[in-house]
Amino acid sequence: MTQTSRAELRNLQDKTAIVGVGTTQFGAIYRDLDPERSAYELGLIAFREALQDAGLKRSEVDGVIVSRLPHYGRMCEMIGLRHPRFVNVLPGEGRQSGIALQYAALAVANGLADVVACIYGNNGRSSGARYGGEDRGTTPQAMFEAPYGMTSPGAVTAMMFRRHQYRYGTTTEPLGHLAISNRANAALNPNAVMQRPITMDDYLGARYIAEPLSLLDYCLINDGGVCFIVTSAERARDLKHTPVLLHATSQASDITPVYVADDFWHEPMSQIADDLFAVSEAQREDLAFAKLYDNFTPTMLFTLEGMGFCEPGESADWITPERIGLHGELPLNTSGGHTSESYMQGWALHVEAVRQLRRECGDRQVADAQYGLYACAAPLATGHILKRDDR
Amino acid sequence: MSTDTTNTTEQKPLPPVNTLTKPFWDGCREGVLQIQFCNICDLPWFPPAEACPRCLQDDWEWRPISGHGAVWSWIRMWQQYFPGWSPDEYPYTVALIKLEEGPYMYSTLVDIDDKDVSCDLSVEVEFRTVNEEITLPVFRPSHGTTDR
Repeated sequence: MTQTSRAELRNLQDKTAIVGVGTTQFGAIYRDLDPERSAYELGLIAFREALQDAGLKRSEVDGVIVSRLPHYGRMCEMIGLRHPRFVNVLPGEGRQSGIALQYAALAVANGLADVVACIYGNNGRSSGARYGGEDRGTTPQAMFEAPYGMTSPGAVTAMMFRRHQYRYGTTTEPLGHLAISNRANAALNPNAVMQRPITMDDYLGARYIAEPLSLLDYCLINDGGVCFIVTSAERARDLKHTPVLLHATSQASDITPVYVADDFWHEPMSQIADDLFAVSEAQREDLAFAKLYDNFTPTMLFTLEGMGFCEPGESADWITPERIGLHGELPLNTSGGHTSESYMQGWALHVEAVRQLRRECGDRQVADAQYGLYACAAPLATGHILKRDDR
Repeated sequence: MSTDTTNTTEQKPLPPVNTLTKPFWDGCREGVLQIQFCNICDLPWFPPAEACPRCLQDDWEWRPISGHGAVWSWIRMWQQYFPGWSPDEYPYTVALIKLEEGPYMYSTLVDIDDKDVSCDLSVEVEFRTVNEEITLPVFRPSHGTTDR
């Protein structure tokens, strides 16, 4: 049941651009655990870098969206922004990074702000975050899950993957290809946390976390900050970098009490794909890369199937090292993604998309990057096509 | 796997019982699995909520259900996220049950080896007493038919 794509999405097409990006040093601070490291400090570092990257003055920033940072006030205070005209706070979950870009673009395109800084800070590793077991039964869902030891986003993804295995005969080998490919890309990314290449034997020998998923299917837990700055496409053309336009974007959802979806989120992901490819002159074969949200490797399978890169159940055959590698038909997660570069909940995937389209990625640069995809499969799903603006 | 952090004196998480959820736990204690049904449209739902998600009305009641369902999926949890499971209990099994009436329920499986578990396995409820207040519904392979 796919609804007709929404022609009104054209109203946002190519109206806004990401003009500045900043990231903290993921690898260096991974090796330097600091219990006093604050998420705001990480956000500040990323903001400072993004501002410099954009060549903008701080006084030109009049919008701020923060995520995973509990309070906008502290962030604005620390970056010396006293009078922003558009402010919002998004929770620290991966679904929100794409939504942050959507809000920023909506605000800019409709005149609520001229320049919006989207700022994310995550001190999860230093503060001991485990992404499981925090809620021993306080929420309406957790009180019926925790007594059985059910917890963690990884475990629900494992539930979905087991079902996928049952339904389609999927093995863990394609997940291994994804993990290996991410790591190979990270080895070419000086900023990545995990740079030592892994083999299929490493993958198959990794310890289980929530079986059938094992350690190398999982995102990292690391500290970091990310910022991207959004302004109008018109303004972007006067700034120092080649603009990266928000060419098409869409959101869809499947919100159930148990997180999982019987169709592996095919319906929301196909709605998003229909929207994006209806609006864009670029089609699947025109994408230079895809940044697929990879909190856990199976999420990428669900995304590829839902967005029509292959039929439901066929992602295992579709995923080959040749196809998804840097020189392949559709290079995936060129930075190393969440399993190898940095678990910035989609934020760093956005930055990598921008850097690839600017062709700044050195040894891991894909050829002729003109259009690139970001997609996040989750109960609240998003996707964008970003476009290099060569005018 | 390191067991240094395992504090075996700490209990497994227990559900807080509140006004909304008390009838569910009262039912389990008496060996009856019941969930909310809308009196207007007959929709069942779980976990408990204050109104029917279809009608948005609070005209609902707890009704016993068949206790039959199927394993939608299942995992073996190896990671120690919660206190209360002793080292020899790992990995433990968590299953997501699709109840015959429609809603899903996380639970665990009993009376079956993990090697015999598969998705869509037919299961039926039984109950495990935890303490005076809480009895947890768990599921075992169902051998009979679902029409009792």
